[in-house]
Amino acid sequence: MHAARNIRLCTKDCVCLFVCPTGATDTETGQIDFEKCLDGCRLCVDACPSHAIYLVNDNYASPQIKGQKTKAMLLKMAENKAEQEKIAAGIAREAKSPEVRQLAKALEVSSRISTEDCLREAGYMLPQGAEVKQLLRALLNSPHEDLPKETIQRLLDLL
Amino acid sequence: MDDMHELSVESLSALCSNLAKACSKQLRTEEASLFDQLASYYKSKSKLPEGKQFTDYSALVLKELNKDYAEISQQAAADGDRGSLRALTWGEKVSKILKSLLDRYEKQKDSLLENTNVFVCEICGFIYIGNLPPEICPICKVPGFKMMKIQKESV
Repeated sequence: MHAARNIRLCTKDCVCLFVCPTGATDTETGQIDFEKCLDGCRLCVDACPSHAIYLVNDNYASPQIKGQKTKAMLLKMAENKAEQEKIAAGIAREAKSPEVRQLAKALEVSSRISTEDCLREAGYMLPQGAEVKQLLRALLNSPHEDLPKETIQRLLDLL
Repeated sequence: MDDMHELSVESLSALCSNLAKACSKQLRTEEASLFDQLASYYKSKSKLPEGKQFTDYSALVLKELNKDYAEISQQAAADGDRGSLRALTWGEKVSKILKSLLDRYEKQKDSLLENTNVFVCEICGFIYIGNLPPEICPICKVPGFKMMKIQKESV
């Protein structure tokens, strides 16, 4: 568990520079040096008057195990929303006016966000979760010729 | 795992772009970039349809509003699945707004979007038409800075 800085909240009181035992908070990047940060130390987290520093977990609580029926229905809804995104992208590409293209782009972005939300709730919330790893392994064995296998393998190694 | 065989390349792309966001939240930049690469790969496999209209989009939204949201919410409630119910509540509100927006577009056509801006909430997908984004998203209540401006591009 290491500390991280939310630069949006940071007001440069810089108490973190003083309390940190290793100098991990003293960088020119705006972010804490995760390599130098001591596991679970949290001195800077508790010292910051702006609540700009927080701890990033190594392990997250497991998300709720989804009911099979709900999961299947959400996956189906995700497909419907992905189809909406595809239609919107098609309209945007063929648009004859800037207004049509703009509206179609907005619909395309909106559909993507809604599709993501359905998939997240269908069990693909946490990248470290068993569902995601299972999916990545299945993808690795899928028959696409130009599949970026090394990308998938690297993800499996990192997660 | 059978999901993979059921998921379209479009869904797989959304699944990967969402996991990229999840990795960014955990400050796992390498993983985020790898999931983004996968999302782009699956998106590139998608074949865009030709000759579609906004009414085709509306028809799919209407189907969800008439049937899907109610059915899935009932099942999620039976499971005690708060997360899914939350997603369905927001989704239904967004769909209603998209439907009414598209109905307005059918009447007013391009004049609906002249001399104004278009914003999309990055968190729930709410679409807003107006000069400035709302202070908070009326659906998911995030601050207005999470509203992405959609540029008007020449064709």
